Amino acid sequence: MSSPVASRRFPRWVFGEGSEPDPRFTLANERTFLAWIRTALALLACGIALEAVAPPMQPQLRLAASVLLIVLGLLTPVQAWFAWSRDERAMRNGRPLSAPSLMVPLTVGTAITGLLLLAALLLR
Amino acid sequence: MTDGGRIFDPGLQPERTALAWRRTGLAVAVGAIAGTRVLFPTLGAGAVVVGLLGLGLAALLVIGSTRRARRAQACLLEEGNLVSGPGGRLIAAVCIACTSVGVAALAVVVGAHL
Repeated sequence: MSSPVASRRFPRWVFGEGSEPDPRFTLANERTFLAWIRTALALLACGIALEAVAPPMQPQLRLAASVLLIVLGLLTPVQAWFAWSRDERAMRNGRPLSAPSLMVPLTVGTAITGLLLLAALLLR
Repeated sequence: MTDGGRIFDPGLQPERTALAWRRTGLAVAVGAIAGTRVLFPTLGAGAVVVGLLGLGLAALLVIGSTRRARRAQACLLEEGNLVSGPGGRLIAAVCIACTSVGVAALAVVVGAHL
């Protein structure tokens, strides 16, 4: 059962139920969250750099690649929050962890970005 | 991070987590400096303001995460678990800040083509 102290931790819908898991797993969950955040920062940095450096490429395709990278960089922190809270909740309730829901969009999106940049280079 | 030489876990998970936070804060600082450099030709002094805001955010992140790690460490040593340890406030704040930067980046990039 959750103690009154535990239920004061934010968010209530995560910490208000279940029992405290092994702290090593909680800390690992936090590090996974941070790795996603650094991924998001890297995606945003790449998207901005493409526009800022403006390499000699077909401009519309370069813009499309840039926008795609930034949109992925926008979705990543949102998924990082939901994955962190969902996994913390699952651990508290002794349920298995789920796979990161952004894995497929991120893979496909990065591959499409690569194709767009290749096309932008060839069509300049 | 030891408390009077005591450690909670031989795997040093709390320390590794604190380092991951610091690494993230450092990435934000680097991003702020690079952003200032990139925005300077168009924004001038405004770019310096943006950069300083970013550096302030990075400092908040490092300070906030250090306090978080101290709290977690104290809680682990005293109670053996994280029952009264840090919650998800800093985590939520990081997500909101990161998404806001993304929205601003999208506006700048798309705006440059209009």
